[in-house]
Amino acid sequence: MPIGFQILDRALRVIRFLLPILGLLLVWELAVRTGLAQAGILPAPSTILARAVELLGLTGERAVLFGHILASLRRALIAFALAVAVGVPLGFLLGLSEEAQLWVSPILSLMLPLPAVAWTPILLVLFGPGDLTIVIVCFLGAVFPVLYSTMQGVRACGRQPVWVVRSMGGSGLDVLRRVLIPSSLPALITGFKLGMAHSWRTLVAAEMLAALTSGLGYMIFAARSYMDVSTMFVGVVCLAAIGMLIEHVLFGTLEHATIHRWYARDAQTGGRQ
Amino acid sequence: MTLDTAEIPRRRLPLPPMKLIRPVVSLGVLFGLWEIAARTGAISAFLFPPPSAIFAALWISAGPNGDPPYGILLDIALSLYRLLAGVGLALVLGTIIGLAIGLTGWGRAVFKPIISALMPIPTLAWTPVLLLVFGIDNRTTITVVFIAASFEIIYNVVTGIEMMTRKVYWVAASMGASRLQTLRYVVLPGILPYLITGLKLGVGYAWRALIAAEMLAASSHGLGFMIYDAQEYMDMKSIYGGILTISVMGLLIERGVIGALEKRTIEKWGVNVER
Repeated sequence: MPIGFQILDRALRVIRFLLPILGLLLVWELAVRTGLAQAGILPAPSTILARAVELLGLTGERAVLFGHILASLRRALIAFALAVAVGVPLGFLLGLSEEAQLWVSPILSLMLPLPAVAWTPILLVLFGPGDLTIVIVCFLGAVFPVLYSTMQGVRACGRQPVWVVRSMGGSGLDVLRRVLIPSSLPALITGFKLGMAHSWRTLVAAEMLAALTSGLGYMIFAARSYMDVSTMFVGVVCLAAIGMLIEHVLFGTLEHATIHRWYARDAQTGGRQ
Repeated sequence: MTLDTAEIPRRRLPLPPMKLIRPVVSLGVLFGLWEIAARTGAISAFLFPPPSAIFAALWISAGPNGDPPYGILLDIALSLYRLLAGVGLALVLGTIIGLAIGLTGWGRAVFKPIISALMPIPTLAWTPVLLLVFGIDNRTTITVVFIAASFEIIYNVVTGIEMMTRKVYWVAASMGASRLQTLRYVVLPGILPYLITGLKLGVGYAWRALIAAEMLAASSHGLGFMIYDAQEYMDMKSIYGGILTISVMGLLIERGVIGALEKRTIEKWGVNVER
């Protein structure tokens, strides 16, 4: 197919994808304009867009949105980094020793059906509202996907490659560096992706419950008390957009540079919370 | 002739399998250490009340002397009601939307983009918006549950349809089946195992979302509301008791109810394949 057609084909596909969404926005806009929907509860998309422009500081007002986004991103990233620091070593340990895994798994399966947010009341009593509580809640949300993916990746590696390296005189470190890490890398990256997604999704609720001054969750919840509905919707859209950017752009690039380049194309796909 | 002692079958009480011993021991060790640490004052008994005290408080709140009487049972009942209502709604609407996407061209063209635009929104971000629409009301929490459960159900229904071979449609068509009959006797049984998988994942997400939503938006009762309410009074025992209940209920729903459902339908599905 000539390149011109390819571009045309792709453009058509994008348009076909966007059309229903634009249609929905149009119906929404019309419903508000004609008074079918209450503007106080469901502001028109144009109103939301105008509010977003204001919050971004493009009209000369204080650009508060960036501050909230940065505060949220910082918390989610710190929580994610902690989750990796704890989840990966623990995952390697439990993946390597079946016995350890069998003994620990009852505790893990008791923790698993708990939403991370359920720990918030305890943390609020322990540390009060603030960054520490939020980061710990997000950490608890992110650590389990990281841990489980690492465990699966290590378990899938099998014994033979380890024996081969061992029989050639490789040390434990060699086994880790040349066998375990390369073979579990796709699972690790999947775990990172899921962990970051969980951290981000948990963040909203944690910020609504425990943030003092900043963060997108705080912005949404604070706007609710002023009935500032358009700001709430701006916050919701930001959350979704940033979540998508992290998942598709950041981890998409990472997966492309690692899994797709080094491994077969059948990389595992992630879920969502 | 000497008897080899090893050959004499010794009568022993049958040991419970390791599968049962392990959880008891590992949880026992965890709670035991916690109990000792709290009793000896190694950790603050206010912030980390000993498990025995937590269980005792839980026991009292499940009885007539609780505050309110039978409080924890009411919380469980209300949480389950919200879960069931939301998941039921998601099951019906999710299946319909999934069928529309999987079977019809217009459904795919309309719903797929809209769903991929809505999916990245964290479920709980809907809560404040819903609070404005419905107020502090069961409808808010039920809608959050519905949102949390439906994406997984839709996704799995669509996958189920895509996994079916074209031949089954041909068979149905060659025997003169109407569209409705094809749906009833070909498509629905075919997607059932996928629907159950979607239900399982959806209920898991829904349970977690429900607890968080109850913390943000419940007016009274519900396990999420209970632990958040207890935090205002710094009633640590109730918080821990509530968390434990949430976890055990979640396990029961996922492993017990959905697990049983899965077993039964997969058996049924197996029979269907043989036929």
